[in-house]
Amino acid sequence: MRRLALLGALALSACGKLQGFGGPAPPLASFTMTLNGDPSTLLPAGVPDVHALRVALVWGTQWLTEPFCVLPPEMNTNAADVIDRGCRDPFGFVPATAGVAASVPLDPSGPTTITLENLPSADLLVGDITSRVAYASLVVFDDRDDSGTLELAAPHRTATGRFRGGGGDGENKDVPDSPDVIYGASFVTMTKADSRVAYREGDFMQSAFYPRVGCAPPSPGFSIVGAGGIDNDNGKALMTALAGQLPAEKDPASCVGPLPADSLVEITAQAPADVEEVGCDEHTADSSIRYRPPPMDAPDLTDRRTACVHLPTFDTGSQPSTLKQVVVSGRTTDRCKGLTHYTLRGCRENVTCDVPDWDLTDNAPSWWASICN
Amino acid sequence: MATLAATTCKVRFAAGLIFTLACSSTALAQEAQRLHDDEWPVRSTGRLTLDGGLVMGRSLTLDTGMATGVGAGLTYGRRFAVGARASWASATESSTVWTVTHDDYTLRGVAAVQQPAGRGLFALRLGAGASLVHESRTRNQGQRAQLTGSDLMNTATALLPGGELEAVVAVHVAGPWLLALSGGPSAIIDDGALRAGWTAQLGVGWQP
Repeated sequence: MRRLALLGALALSACGKLQGFGGPAPPLASFTMTLNGDPSTLLPAGVPDVHALRVALVWGTQWLTEPFCVLPPEMNTNAADVIDRGCRDPFGFVPATAGVAASVPLDPSGPTTITLENLPSADLLVGDITSRVAYASLVVFDDRDDSGTLELAAPHRTATGRFRGGGGDGENKDVPDSPDVIYGASFVTMTKADSRVAYREGDFMQSAFYPRVGCAPPSPGFSIVGAGGIDNDNGKALMTALAGQLPAEKDPASCVGPLPADSLVEITAQAPADVEEVGCDEHTADSSIRYRPPPMDAPDLTDRRTACVHLPTFDTGSQPSTLKQVVVSGRTTDRCKGLTHYTLRGCRENVTCDVPDWDLTDNAPSWWASICN
Repeated sequence: MATLAATTCKVRFAAGLIFTLACSSTALAQEAQRLHDDEWPVRSTGRLTLDGGLVMGRSLTLDTGMATGVGAGLTYGRRFAVGARASWASATESSTVWTVTHDDYTLRGVAAVQQPAGRGLFALRLGAGASLVHESRTRNQGQRAQLTGSDLMNTATALLPGGELEAVVAVHVAGPWLLALSGGPSAIIDDGALRAGWTAQLGVGWQP
């Protein structure tokens, strides 16, 4: 009887509360950041105050700029002006379309901790299954629409004309920018010093995905890594990239990490105009260009730059293409830079197709001649 | 030679086919033989019955999924019998955050009312006792994120009172052996709340 009582007491001493699927879930990673500087001194035009500062973790995506933005601008045209107004930094951080993974209010009195409940999905990881990596930027923004998250913006294109098989303005719906304002990010561009969140699975292989040549690879799992910035003096980094090589860091000694994921990341408040590209989504990431038929009525070109140039050619010494395009930049008030390409003849997928979806070479819109003779 | 061997083989095959068809026609013509009780005599006369088999039922502590395992028990008596039963059943289910496994070790005292009918036995069995539930929770994606320790996995154990009411059907097959099937509602009390479900067992019994 005493043995039975002892057995019962032992069983009861092992009792605990079953939680099943309930209870708090430990985060997969926690990151700590602090903001240096006062965003209220950096308000852009039309924004009266700082409403609700938050910090978001935004995963990056692979992105290649389009040829028009990196090839030498065509002589005797406004191409250089359009490139300056319409092309984003080719080495800048580009957020993935579904890249905003977490967002928390910024603690004004000290460091802010942001936690991740999920790993980056497979489409955010670059590499094969035995060696892949993802990078994220911690973005400080003013959540002016109180949505609790950072809404990415996109370039605003001008109107599209009609063509065989669809088209027209109906398929060029313009989505207004959200009122969110970005005041800082830990990773803005590879040409400047950065601190980025890294997630690594398997081995690490240096690739063209936000490379840090000469720096130690990220740790398996989550870590914080950084770099001092690639050497882009006189377009050196661009020339290196066009030659198929990875641009080198200006100072390899400036590499940071890998540090534990909860290491403090310091972000400096910046003017929104200098940092807002980290919140700009890109619909095409492979440098391909979607050429559009020009509308018959003149598009609204107010506050935009235009250039009439030949289609880009890549062979050195070859004759320029006989087909011309009108390239239109975005507006100065847009959050994101972008270009609209018009051609008088072409197809949705291939501007030099044999059977064009539109051919206005003999019936060009009246406004075309004012830009492209 | 090869042609002769092939011909011999074909002849043997045809002969075998004809013989098989002839035999089956003869069998169809005769009345099917029925088994008699004296061919599979039942020798069970004792009061003790042991049984064991596969257990399945709704996981009462997870509130979802099917728990499967094994169980065994014994009863002693004729119309009224008493006994004890023990079982283990396990269920694993997942949410977006956790993968949870519950191992239920149950020990029951049982009382049964039973009625023989031919080779069969019908019974209503009431059991009451305790369930020792061992919980193991693993954070989904935790290993890939290099989580360790309690952030990756945690366990808990609870001793919960419970019981079930089962209908039992047992059929004497041969000698002391029975085919036993049981099932019915079950319940436990967890954190002051009654959790109801069902349980079932399919197995074999032995009654000397």
